[in-house]
Amino acid sequence: MSQVFHDIEKKIIASLKDNPKQTPEILEKNTKLSPDQIRRGIEWLKLKDLAIVDESQTSMISLDKNGIESFQKGLPERRLLNLLNDGPRKLSDLQKELGPIFGPAIGLSRKNNWVDTSSDQILLKNFPSELPGEKTLKQIGNNKLPQEKIDKNDLLELLKRPDFIIEHVIKTKEISLTDSAKSIKLSESSGEIDVEAKVPQVFVARTHPLKDTIDEIREIFVTLGFFEIIGNMTQSSFWNFDALFTPQDHPARELQDTFYLSGISAKKIATPEQIRKVSESHKKNWHYHWDINEARKMVLRTHTTCVTIKHLAENKPDEARVFSLGRVFRNEKVSYKHLVEFNQIEGVVVGKDANLRNLMGIQREFYKRIGITKIKFWPTFFPYTEPSLQTMVYNERLKKWVELFGMGIFRPEVTKPLGITKPVLAWGGGIERIAMLKYGLDDVREFYNNNLSWLRSVRKCQ
Amino acid sequence: MPVVELSYIRLQKLVGKVTKKQISDVLPFLGLDIESEDKDLVRIEYSPNRPDYSTDFGIALGLQGLLGIKTGAIKLNIKKSRRYAISVKSEVSKVRPFVTGIVATNGKIDDETIKQYMTMQEDLHFGIGRKRKKSSIGIHDLDKITFPLVYTTTNRNHKFIPLNSKKELSISEILKNTDVGKNYGSILGNSSHVPLILDANHKTVSFPPIINAAETTVTTKTKNLFVEVTGINKEDAEDMLSVVATILQSAGFTLESVQISGAKNSLPKLEQKKLSVSPSLINQTLGLNLNTSKIILSLKKSRLDASTKGKNIICGIPAYRFDIFGPMDLVEEVALGYGIQNLEPILSPSQTLGQKHPNSISLQSISSIMTGLGYMEALNSSLTSKRILYDNTKRDSSKIISVLDSKSLEHTILRDSLIPGLIDNLAKNIHESYPQQLFEIGTIFNKTSSVTEETHLCAISSHKDVNFSEIKSVLQSVTQSIFGKICETKTITHSTFEKGHVANIIIDGKIIGIIGEISKLTKDNFKLREPIVSFEIKLPD
Repeated sequence: MSQVFHDIEKKIIASLKDNPKQTPEILEKNTKLSPDQIRRGIEWLKLKDLAIVDESQTSMISLDKNGIESFQKGLPERRLLNLLNDGPRKLSDLQKELGPIFGPAIGLSRKNNWVDTSSDQILLKNFPSELPGEKTLKQIGNNKLPQEKIDKNDLLELLKRPDFIIEHVIKTKEISLTDSAKSIKLSESSGEIDVEAKVPQVFVARTHPLKDTIDEIREIFVTLGFFEIIGNMTQSSFWNFDALFTPQDHPARELQDTFYLSGISAKKIATPEQIRKVSESHKKNWHYHWDINEARKMVLRTHTTCVTIKHLAENKPDEARVFSLGRVFRNEKVSYKHLVEFNQIEGVVVGKDANLRNLMGIQREFYKRIGITKIKFWPTFFPYTEPSLQTMVYNERLKKWVELFGMGIFRPEVTKPLGITKPVLAWGGGIERIAMLKYGLDDVREFYNNNLSWLRSVRKCQ
Repeated sequence: MPVVELSYIRLQKLVGKVTKKQISDVLPFLGLDIESEDKDLVRIEYSPNRPDYSTDFGIALGLQGLLGIKTGAIKLNIKKSRRYAISVKSEVSKVRPFVTGIVATNGKIDDETIKQYMTMQEDLHFGIGRKRKKSSIGIHDLDKITFPLVYTTTNRNHKFIPLNSKKELSISEILKNTDVGKNYGSILGNSSHVPLILDANHKTVSFPPIINAAETTVTTKTKNLFVEVTGINKEDAEDMLSVVATILQSAGFTLESVQISGAKNSLPKLEQKKLSVSPSLINQTLGLNLNTSKIILSLKKSRLDASTKGKNIICGIPAYRFDIFGPMDLVEEVALGYGIQNLEPILSPSQTLGQKHPNSISLQSISSIMTGLGYMEALNSSLTSKRILYDNTKRDSSKIISVLDSKSLEHTILRDSLIPGLIDNLAKNIHESYPQQLFEIGTIFNKTSSVTEETHLCAISSHKDVNFSEIKSVLQSVTQSIFGKICETKTITHSTFEKGHVANIIIDGKIIGIIGEISKLTKDNFKLREPIVSFEIKLPD
């Protein structure tokens, strides 16, 4: 099979044939390719086993401040010997003339037997033409040299001295061709490239899969004529519970099910009339002492219904389709089935003709649009709706019916105290459950793990 | 939701001519979810507002109705009796003012029945009893008790042999040393005197709402029962009693009345409540067009009585159905009796126009800007841990917002910044290939006099050559796209970031966020090696 190469590869191979070992920088110069093209070309050739990349380290040597001074004025001992070459000198004179370098200079000269220091007059005994280190000092000068070009022993002389030598470690890559690459005849390959070759992987930057499901659901609600409302995640117990007819001593309100914010309570929770009417409905139906301080306690909303009911109480529409979508919280142990924080969608329909069969019809239409056609309805119980139903959908993968959205008509005990006169159909449920069906997940925690291998591999279009 | 375990064979006996399949098909349409099945055993989840479904006797009543075997309301036949009486002392009004009770004779009790009664008792205690605080129940062997009884109080030194004990214990010892005492003792507060039921021989029958005497324990040898309910509210106590009375009658007992007098206590009524509902409300709410006879039939299948009265339908609601508040509850009973499976969904055209919230539209745009810049979207919880949010990042925790009693250690405080979560995401992805670039759009929480919420955008990038300029270039594009303006950056110090590599982000003279290189210390705390840069900005409202 004749191999086909990209232009970049061809240029690199050709250059390496002329000059078998090159750094990427030299290749850049020789081929006139950009650094990025060189990097990619080398990657490709490596993948095809055509190029070898040797990574090596080189030590570069240059002079430090004392080294530079010695290069300019001579080594300390050379300067001492030069002075003595004109005749013996007094120790104190030399000390004055040479300054701080006198000490090391005299020590070294005595040790090497170049001078006689037995009397106050220092005498020259020997005048070597080249001192250890002098050759290297000259060789380096003002340059940077690779260590291997320098006489090791002579360099050692200088390395011993403080602030004489600077060593820089430089990492270099050298590219060469493998044997099989050396035999490639570039002239034989025409302008073709290897379209079958493996290429490096790039990853799509994408919105989060759960976000995609949320957006998809939002889109469906809008096309079904629903108007989006938003609200806070932190809510007073009044709107999260009291306004929804959940008595203050109900187990759902306990710490073990609901997150209360430590030491934070709401100042203004609702209008005086709303507070009065809601508390009256509680006293009448649940027979207990209603406490406004319980209603002030701030919670992390346990459903988006608090946002919906507040909207309806403020606007009292005769006809409306409204939805809200967002995070809700439950104080639960986290498991493959449960999260402490998840997304909920909730829709309501207000109107004089709103009835249970309409509600079921909207459900069926919604499920159809997310691709679920096998559904059925079962009765259930929710504290603030009557009648209440739940949808069961058939999970083809698990081969069983699973519970999805809950729905119902707001109880008169909820709507009446807030001045809502028309029937309100309401339904909602967890979005993660729908997303799990869509992405075939068995563990709901996957959505919040932000595991890159999953995010990079999960199909965007489905 | 509570769960009860039942046997199909027992259910079939109780319901009458019915197959196992008929039962399992109908159960969901009573509002009962089958959680699991194993040959003869079936575990059923029921709603806490229907404590009558805590036993197979109660479920059988419902099944009979829907299957058309027996319809209409259950009537309690209570024999008037003068043999049984409780007199109530005025002292109890301060601790637990009300008592009520009933006697059930000539019944059969086997191990399964005892198990069912215990489930019922537990459920009544938890639900309408509000963990025994509002009302609690005691079921006793009638033949171990000498009437008349007295409901009074005693001091904490009073001794008797409580259930599951062999020796006498004082009230204080029971509250201190037994499980029930520890769990429910707080209901009695610090009062020096506690409620007590004594029989004619001064033997202790019950120490409500904590424990019965061992003497009156119900066994498979028991033939006759005495049931007492005490509570802080007469209506709730009688509601609870009505459930037990109905179940015991269904289980084959004969009910006999207990005279109750003294300190505002009286004979329990346990009577049917009358409620009227208009057919038009029913038809309007359900979207049906049922005639009155069909409505009446449906109500009877839901085990209620119903008859016409003028244009309306008047219903007789047995005392145990205290979940029925008003006409709307009857609408649901009609729907159940009619059969939810018989309701055909209809789709009516929308009279309104759909619209996204402007916020959603702008957040979707910001997401697409970030993905366009090569950033992958991450999602983290609003609830996080102190370790991630403050300790590892060395952030200022003076405005910490915690939640009470979280069951999950990883979810105890509300985030006031998105950066720590994204750093933690990088820490969990060190084995994935670099560059890693993530962004998150999410809500953060600020402690003020209460708590406020803001939407933030955070971006984070990590690879071996990353530096401040790279992230600042991204930031500039982002602010240009979102605000139509290039931002300024002004040097600050911040302990999450490297000194001299961190700045405030400023637009129109206002600080909107922070940008910088994550410090070595922060990276070490998360066991991260590669350089990391990040910015976080507050998005416009």
